[in-house]
Amino acid sequence: MSDLRPILLVEDNPKDLELTLAALAKCQLANEIVVARDGAEALDYIHQRGVHANREPGDPSVVLLDLKLPKIDGLEVLERIKSDATLRQVPVVMLTSSREEKDLVRSYALGVNAFVVKPVDFNRFFDAIQDLGMFWAILNEPPPRGSHVS
Amino acid sequence: MNTPLDIDGCAQEPIRIPGGVQPHGVLLALSPADLSLLQASGNVASLLTLKPGVAKAEHLHDFVGGDHLSADLMEWLERGEGAFLRTSDMGGRVLQVLGHRNAQGAILEFEDPPASERETFEALYPSLRVFMDEIAPSDDVDVIAGSAARLARELTGFNRVMIYRFDPDWHGVVIAEDGDGVLPSYLDLRFPASDIPAQARELYRLNRLRLIPDANYTPAALEPVMSPVDGQPLDLSFAALRSVSPIHLQYMRNMGTLASMSISILVDGKLWGLISCHNAEPKRVNAQVRAVCDFLGQIVSLQIGARERAAFAAERIELKRVETRLLAELARSGNYREGLVAHPADWLELAGASGAAVIADGEIKVAGVVPPIEHLGRLAVWLQNHKVDELFASDFLAEHWPDAEMLADTAAGVLAISISQIHASYIVWFRPEVVRTVTWGGDPRKKAATPLQPLSPRASFETWKEQVRLRSDPWREAEIETARDFRNAIVSFVLKRAEEKAELTEALQRTNKELESFSYSVSHDLRAPFRHIVGFSELLGERATNLDDKSRHYLDSIKEAALSAGRLVDDLLNFSHMGRTSLTLTRVDMDKLVREVRYSLAPDAEGRQIEWDIQRLPSAWGDGAMLRQVLTNLIDNAVKYTRDAQPAKITITGEERARDTLYRISDNGVGFDMAYVDKLFGVFQRLHRVEDFEGTGIGLALSKRVIDRHGGDIFAEGTLGGGAAFTFVLPKR
Repeated sequence: MSDLRPILLVEDNPKDLELTLAALAKCQLANEIVVARDGAEALDYIHQRGVHANREPGDPSVVLLDLKLPKIDGLEVLERIKSDATLRQVPVVMLTSSREEKDLVRSYALGVNAFVVKPVDFNRFFDAIQDLGMFWAILNEPPPRGSHVS
Repeated sequence: MNTPLDIDGCAQEPIRIPGGVQPHGVLLALSPADLSLLQASGNVASLLTLKPGVAKAEHLHDFVGGDHLSADLMEWLERGEGAFLRTSDMGGRVLQVLGHRNAQGAILEFEDPPASERETFEALYPSLRVFMDEIAPSDDVDVIAGSAARLARELTGFNRVMIYRFDPDWHGVVIAEDGDGVLPSYLDLRFPASDIPAQARELYRLNRLRLIPDANYTPAALEPVMSPVDGQPLDLSFAALRSVSPIHLQYMRNMGTLASMSISILVDGKLWGLISCHNAEPKRVNAQVRAVCDFLGQIVSLQIGARERAAFAAERIELKRVETRLLAELARSGNYREGLVAHPADWLELAGASGAAVIADGEIKVAGVVPPIEHLGRLAVWLQNHKVDELFASDFLAEHWPDAEMLADTAAGVLAISISQIHASYIVWFRPEVVRTVTWGGDPRKKAATPLQPLSPRASFETWKEQVRLRSDPWREAEIETARDFRNAIVSFVLKRAEEKAELTEALQRTNKELESFSYSVSHDLRAPFRHIVGFSELLGERATNLDDKSRHYLDSIKEAALSAGRLVDDLLNFSHMGRTSLTLTRVDMDKLVREVRYSLAPDAEGRQIEWDIQRLPSAWGDGAMLRQVLTNLIDNAVKYTRDAQPAKITITGEERARDTLYRISDNGVGFDMAYVDKLFGVFQRLHRVEDFEGTGIGLALSKRVIDRHGGDIFAEGTLGGGAAFTFVLPKR
């Protein structure tokens, strides 16, 4: 297992953010959780620029990405990550309130690793976040930086 | 051997340029600039003599003595007026001079008036006056024709004067006659169109009066034959002396008439008929009388035209009244076809028909007496192939469409209007066959010219009776015009409906779009707060470990309320999705699906005693995910409503049938009252109180929508307290 790299949580809705953080806290993950409040900030973090210019280098272990975001929306962030050969390996989990089929189809077309419709039931939401966090942050062995899967 | 060929034969005769004139007069073609001589008829010496000392005629002056003719002619030519007519003293001889102009020069015709007839126009006027008084009160064309025949004979003294009327096929019928008994009566006889070929008819139209004083004449040729102006034969279209076709002269001799005169009757510029005068012996009519006869012809033309227009207008007004009434009914009924059928009397009266049909959108509706339905469909196809895109009218359908012969008793005549540019859609009126006997003034089947048998005038004027078959009464002009108007109204009516429909579709699409974006925003904006309420209630519940029971109950209530509201939103979205998303049809293993659904519902049935009777199910053809939803709803319902049954029994069966596959889920639960069965599948329709059985009331509506979209059917049976059974069928592939 490599060193514990941070989880990037991209969420604009403060209540969802709070609930998601609470859920992740329950998992007792050791990973640092970095929060970006919109798509632009998320890309800044990923590319180590702007307010995140001085962060520790390295890719996040997983990006938990809300679909609806101000400025640059989730689908576009996903597209930028998956179309960048150096970032393509970073797992992205799309979180959304939407059950719109077209969003789901588009996400998979762009190469999303998982797609979660946030359940109304908190316990199920909690389970989902926990499962995702555990899988992508701990169990998933990240490829060495720079390697490509063709 | 048919008539049209025959007409072609005659029509090729160059009757405008015969190269000669009738010898009872002399024709000169002069240069309009100086009246120098261009051409003259060979008989010039019979009427005109050269002035003393002149050897060869080169100029009009060479003939004219002290008269002012030359000066008058020059003045006439300068004024550029149409015709020239005067009596002139030509070297001691009084002659009538007629003049007209064409591109080849000024054409002068000289005639010696017959000694016996020297009436002046003034002397003839009282006869005309009497004629006018006679016809004034009458609306009847036959009365006018009778008076005109009498007057023409009185003016000219011919043995027989006939009023001859052309029918639409250019056959002629004698509608009035006046005679002295020397020649046989032709009244009511019909003469074939070939008797007066198209080219002759055109000349009759251009030049209203023609006289042939002696059918046995020898033409006087023009000298030179060709006009020096353009090297062409002289155009004698407007010459009174124009020599006529030898065929026509033979025709006259065969008919026993040696002199003839005809005056054209023109209505609205179209040849309507002729005043046709015949004499057994040669007979001349002077130019004055001819002018009066021409005038008579014009009066008759105007009077007939006025009466026909009046009759047409009256009929039109009457039909317009029917049309207006019918259109009002159609507008009320919303669908013009239903409207037509609901008002058969007006529909038929519109065209004076005995039967009518509307053939549109693959449907045929009829009124009155019509041909068998299968022939109506073929008629529509024929009309379309015949490129009838507006109106078709025939009193002799079989002439155009031989198949129609067998339909003559109902549809010898049809009047059809097209009501669509794209489809074979027509409204058709029918008239039955009316068998008539027509008496021809000779066999109309005149032989066509062949190399072996050159064109010849018919020799027999024996009457020839013909039974006219496969014909209906003709469609009157007013009826055709009314049908045309009606067509425009129907077409705009149909168009308006189509536009309204398109508008409605557009509005519906807009509404659908709005609904879609509404449900999308609901999915984001309405679900989220419920999620938050549930989430924070949960977190609060975890932290507040020593809440009193009341507070715990309140907190749980908040969570429950938000949770069920959230579920409702989910269900609603699901329901609206089901109407929009496309189906992915595959072979669905229903056994496996039921197993999976049962497994997913296991938590709900936990601790319950349920006797499952699940038989082997045939596979279905459908969208797996959607069918899973249906099975989930139905089985979940069965589990839910058997909660109080001891023990609960749930049976699932399937059956393969000829065209579809049937599935049934039945239980021994609380059931329902069949009185409410219609409400069962409605959105938000619940038959139980929410505290008794939870649920949003959308499950069955959703199931029905899924089955509907598969083209299947779903229905329920139940008794209150006696269990329920839900059955759905899915069409086979």
